[in-house]
Amino acid sequence: VPCVSGGLPKPMNITFVSINMKNVLQWAPPEGLQGVEVTYTVQYFIYGQKKWLSKSKCKNINRTYCDLSAETSDYEHQYYAKVKAVWGTNCSKWVETGRFYPFLETQIGPPEVSLTTGEKSISIVLTAPEKWKRNPEDSSVSMQQIYSNLKYNVSMYNTKSKRMWSQCITNHTLVLSWLEPNTLYCISVESFVPGPPRLTRPSQKQCVSTLEDQTSGLKVK
Amino acid sequence: EFRFGSCRVEGVVLPELWEAFQAMKHTVQAQDNVTSVRLLKQEVLQNVSDTESCYLIHALLKFYLNTVFKNYHKKIVEFKILKSFSTLANNFLAIMSKLQPSQENETFSISESAHRRFLLFRGAFKQLDIEAALTKAFGEVDILLTWMEKFYQL
Amino acid sequence: DTAAFLPAPQNLSVHSTNMKHLLTWSPVILPGETVYYFVEYQGEYESLYMSHIWIPSSWCSPTEGPECDVTDDITATVPYNLRVSATLGSQSSAWSTLKHPFNRNSTILTPPRMEVTKDGFHLVIEVEDLGPQFEFLVAYWRREPGAKEHIKEVRSGGSPVLLETMQPGVTYCVRAQTRVKAIRRYSAFSQVECVEVQGESLPL
Repeated sequence: VPCVSGGLPKPMNITFVSINMKNVLQWAPPEGLQGVEVTYTVQYFIYGQKKWLSKSKCKNINRTYCDLSAETSDYEHQYYAKVKAVWGTNCSKWVETGRFYPFLETQIGPPEVSLTTGEKSISIVLTAPEKWKRNPEDSSVSMQQIYSNLKYNVSMYNTKSKRMWSQCITNHTLVLSWLEPNTLYCISVESFVPGPPRLTRPSQKQCVSTLEDQTSGLKVK
Repeated sequence: EFRFGSCRVEGVVLPELWEAFQAMKHTVQAQDNVTSVRLLKQEVLQNVSDTESCYLIHALLKFYLNTVFKNYHKKIVEFKILKSFSTLANNFLAIMSKLQPSQENETFSISESAHRRFLLFRGAFKQLDIEAALTKAFGEVDILLTWMEKFYQL
Repeated sequence: DTAAFLPAPQNLSVHSTNMKHLLTWSPVILPGETVYYFVEYQGEYESLYMSHIWIPSSWCSPTEGPECDVTDDITATVPYNLRVSATLGSQSSAWSTLKHPFNRNSTILTPPRMEVTKDGFHLVIEVEDLGPQFEFLVAYWRREPGAKEHIKEVRSGGSPVLLETMQPGVTYCVRAQTRVKAIRRYSAFSQVECVEVQGESLPL
């Protein structure tokens, strides 16, 4: 039975939250309906095509988000999405996103960072962030395959000298040698793609200590 | 610099163009109600060869400067986005003035192929009411810049 | 209305260093009065396609001093026209326009200030932050006969960057130059700075 449109206030703050092409539509409940069992229905639209499409898993749902990654996986297309609130036979008008362009707007997550320490060295191995995939068993696609100019900014903090410096690399391994033995170093890595301003997020800071000094000959002044 | 095949363009910083368009994107795209039409479709921009790219970008920028920007200016003033528009238009002009697509005979077929792509774009543009077409073309500058980015070397 | 007695500002000129562009003019002096100025600009596009269009400057519409930072207005490497008008209350003078259009590729580029330090055996450089337009070419070498010069591109100033892991007992020297892609120009190289990390011989 079609609901009476406009009988409810509209959901608010509709937006796509996109990280590594995992595109999730989010919104806030309509104002003034606290305690009311409202459900939501979502539709999406591919710019340049003819009609709005539904996602069955996002019809009459209670939650205030809907994962549209599969529906918006062609990142060279642009999309719109809309949501309306439903309560009994009443429903709100649709509220729509702006034009969403995954290729430009997805946030590029940090790489996976694994560290191995030596006496005076730390080896850093990076694994490029992975693009969202439909099924866990699908083969992985690295974000580097989408953004060929993806680079990494490695930040290194020497807790003893209290000095921080960084280094920009394009490959996936970096060996920091001639470090001070028995010293705690904290490392964080951020992916970035030169070009349009894109959101990025640094990796979790990891702190490791170089090993004890096995020799006594070396003193740094 | 940009490398559209043999056409080299230096002295234009793409992030400046992105910043200018991002400042106008939501304002302009929100005015585009004909969402069932995309002017810069994939048939226009996909699989463009390097040699073809110079002809195509020349035709597109010329159209944007002479038709889109020129006739959309009243809206630009109305939306108070004159500064960002000026940045975009002057940088497009800077690129255009440095593009010299070769006119030799052996590249005639390539320029023809580029011209067919451009006609696809312009044909779709002409099918719309002029105001709607101008708004849509301006709102699709992010698609154009994304394609141009493929020819941009840091 | 254009006041007959309110003269237009004179002697407009642009002083540009490291992509900071300052438009200056001779002040209009009216004893006991505060004169304000409006600055407007148009790029090559406006002057070619819509010459009646002038855009108010970001920071000087109006301004009190006889100068205006037009850096945020000049955002393409094309000629720009600039003009200034004096105002007093509701009256404003005629526009005075810069004699020759200004193009940012004429800016003066100075060598960057830099700090070369060491953190343990690591040679670290921090170049001054001159803004997003600037990149830096850093040259470094071991101060010994026949040493090869290494070049590293530093994309932005304002944060320390690792250059090299140093050998103990060797002096390393560094110099840097600014590079602005938007105008395809470089500055001269900076002064050379050298550092050395002492250290007795290493165990074999």
